[in-house]
Amino acid sequence: MRRWLVFGAWWLVLSGWWLVSSAGEPEPTRPHFTDIASKSNFAYRTDNNFTGRKYFPQTMCGGVAAFDFDNDGRMDLFFTNGAKLPELEKTDPRFYNCLLRNRGDGTFEDVTARAGLLGKDLGFSFGVAAGDYDNDGFEDLFVCNAGPNVLYHNNGDGTFTDVTARSGIVKPKDVLSVAAAWFDYDNDGKLDLIVSNYTVWTPRTDKICAANGREYYCHPSVYTPVAHRLYHNLGNGRFEDVTESSGFGKELGKGMGVAIADFNGDGYMDVFVANDTMRNFLFINQKNGTFKESAFEWGVAYDESGKAGSSMGADAKDYNNDGWPDLFYNNLKGEIWGLYRNMGGKFFDYASGVSRVSRLSARSSGWSNGFVDYNNDGWKDLYSSNGDIDNMGDTSRQHDTMFENVDGKEFRDVSGLLGADFSHAGFQRGSAFVDLNNDGFEDLVVTSLDEKPRILLNSADNGNHWLLVNTIGRRSNRDGVGAALKLTTASGRTLYNHVTTSDGFMSSSDKRVHFGLGPEKAIASLEIHWPSGIVQTLKKPRADQILTVKEP
Amino acid sequence: MTIMWHLEGGQSCPQPPFRRLFLALALILPAVWAQQPAADPDALLKHAVALHQSGDLEGAIRAYREYLAAQPDSLQARSNLGAALARAGRYDEAIAEYDRALSKSPDNPALLLNLGLAYYKTGRPAEAAARFERAASLAPQFRDQVTLLLASCYNSLGKYQQAIALLAPLEKEKSADPAFNYLYGTALIGDGQSASGAAAIDRILSQGDSAEARLLRGTLKLRAHDHDGALADLEKAIALNARLPGAHARLGELLLAMREIDRARTAFEQELALDPDEFVSNLNLGVLGKQDQDYVESRRYFERALKARPNDPGVRYQLAILDLATGNADQARKALEALIAETPDFAEAHATLAAVYYRLARSADGDRERAIAQKLMDQRDAAGTGARAR
Repeated sequence: MRRWLVFGAWWLVLSGWWLVSSAGEPEPTRPHFTDIASKSNFAYRTDNNFTGRKYFPQTMCGGVAAFDFDNDGRMDLFFTNGAKLPELEKTDPRFYNCLLRNRGDGTFEDVTARAGLLGKDLGFSFGVAAGDYDNDGFEDLFVCNAGPNVLYHNNGDGTFTDVTARSGIVKPKDVLSVAAAWFDYDNDGKLDLIVSNYTVWTPRTDKICAANGREYYCHPSVYTPVAHRLYHNLGNGRFEDVTESSGFGKELGKGMGVAIADFNGDGYMDVFVANDTMRNFLFINQKNGTFKESAFEWGVAYDESGKAGSSMGADAKDYNNDGWPDLFYNNLKGEIWGLYRNMGGKFFDYASGVSRVSRLSARSSGWSNGFVDYNNDGWKDLYSSNGDIDNMGDTSRQHDTMFENVDGKEFRDVSGLLGADFSHAGFQRGSAFVDLNNDGFEDLVVTSLDEKPRILLNSADNGNHWLLVNTIGRRSNRDGVGAALKLTTASGRTLYNHVTTSDGFMSSSDKRVHFGLGPEKAIASLEIHWPSGIVQTLKKPRADQILTVKEP
Repeated sequence: MTIMWHLEGGQSCPQPPFRRLFLALALILPAVWAQQPAADPDALLKHAVALHQSGDLEGAIRAYREYLAAQPDSLQARSNLGAALARAGRYDEAIAEYDRALSKSPDNPALLLNLGLAYYKTGRPAEAAARFERAASLAPQFRDQVTLLLASCYNSLGKYQQAIALLAPLEKEKSADPAFNYLYGTALIGDGQSASGAAAIDRILSQGDSAEARLLRGTLKLRAHDHDGALADLEKAIALNARLPGAHARLGELLLAMREIDRARTAFEQELALDPDEFVSNLNLGVLGKQDQDYVESRRYFERALKARPNDPGVRYQLAILDLATGNADQARKALEALIAETPDFAEAHATLAAVYYRLARSADGDRERAIAQKLMDQRDAAGTGARAR
């Protein structure tokens, strides 16, 4: 018996040696995630009011925004919630939206009522976008709904005021808005707003789809597409609906996630909209107040096989550090998540296959998503919050996925290595990337249907270095949304990112720009291309700090 | 019409009920030749025929070949040799002998029928169908013999309407024939005529449970997005007859629809273990291989799928995508242009061609193809607004 044990031990050692040898190098130390939500006292659960009858919007519930509403230097959290159906009203506090103030000690305080953000009159809420639209230094909120959308002005005293009526932000009757993004499309220093709309829907027009006595969520083909809407910020709290004049009105889609980036490097922000079971849209800014829908030309309208998937979340960042923002959208199980490599600002190359994303993604139904350098190695990884659209199969409940970026070329699935809280199976929906404890490592906040959200703290224990940049515009919009940052490390490695709060699905992330530096402790320079055209260069900023940079 | 390559199916031939028919024909036709009076009584030929009729196929093959060495133009001996080779399962050799015989007598319906059978047995329904059609046109007396075989070929080729046209007139006469009902049901379901397909299934089931009925019912449920029901029927079909052609392939399609990729792959591989040339499995494994960046293997599957359905637009499209993925944009362009010329309603091909043109800086061509693709997809969306699951 003893001989066998000894033999077994040798076998294990040899196997381990072989695994390490075959991988070429030892496995890196990885951070993991721990859910700290239970340490806080708040009532919010994502409640889509599923009681057996399957209403179309129930699959999309639980938007998240990570933003510092009280300017105390700590990122707070806002969650959207559903409504009673078919009444389409938040008839009960369990449907209220929720604002959690970050106390800075790992706990959060529910300040929703005090802030005036319960949203009692909003109906079923979906996405949320945070941005300082009036440049007063306080982050405001835009909330998408079935029913009227709402613009909340941050009063700077911990409260918000619904200013929708005087803002001029209106939408066609009964249009269901899913997500929104703040960006300054004309570089006039004021944040404009793009709203991703899905269809025209009310409980009265909801379709029932069933087979053999079982109801299921209808295929999107039973609903009509609508135009996404662009609102131009006029200043003084007023917006003008420029959907038609800008060119957005020409294209009808079933909008989900929105990604903002300057894809062609002309200094003007472009817009990608992931459409559900329709071709995606890429609106290229023509620099004269209009956009040209160019997804075909850029190769992102359909997947490699010319097919439209159930595109859900979207994000645009540079995953291979070549200086050009790439594109990532996810979709449902059996489809292929889209990873597109920006080829010098001319077009996108479909990279799902060559990067192994196609192989890794086929088993997951993704909703919110994004590029995030979770381990601060300087390569942006791919995160997705997952869960089936329906609850009818054994594999409907799914865990989130993290595909780790290997040298900007391909990805490997490390989801199972990030801790039990990360691997929680459920019907995950919204998600935000945010550094909640200002330790330089990105944390995650994820909603799941009929559950409390997970607030996943990154263990930040792999020794890698980082820089977090908080941009404050002067001529540019105060948030600095659209500013493009280039960081060069002491060894000459170049990293790229840009300011945006819009990523994933129905969600809004930490506006501070995050750079993982790997083992490097020194930065040679940080170059900021502001939307105003100003280029600012900082020499040798210290690593491992939150650096606030004001536009000169 | 818009091509939906991933939903197309069809049963591999031959179907079990036709094995008997094939054997009968293979035996009958050489006997017919043997009974014809020989101009020059030839002991060797008689000996070969006798061996053939006694079941000594290898002996007969040797004897026919010996005879043909001296009398290479003997149509009778050449045809009988083909039949003996076919009976021995040496179909490629049989096809070669029938082709040589037909070069001497191109309008010989019996030869065409036997050649068609040989192609049919080797899973080449397009070649088989061409011979059956010609045999039937030359000799109407063969029409009844080839009708079911031809319908089976049409089903394998995804030409369901042609199969229906052939079978519909026989519906009353053959309503109790399970083989007929199976073929007819396959064609009707393939053509989207669910109610009529269900009636054919009921007629089969009225004679007891069968793997064929379960396969058809599972297919029907798959088309209706009733995945749980389809799974139960298809698993039962395989339990009743694990070698039923097409059952594993259909299960693979279902598992793909259920997003059970690994299980789907296994099902397709099981189908190919039974019939390496089965269309649906080769096509889907090619697509899965492409997604996994296994381009060499992917191309191999696609080429096998093309063997089952020569010129199939869906497979040709996938091969063009493969060219694109491997950096051969101009080759992809040529393939897509040829494909669209033949199947102008193939929306995805137009969309991909638009992207290729844009990539090649041919904006005007890209705009044109984009407009066509968009129009076709809009039409398809408008036609497909019925309530269904995702």
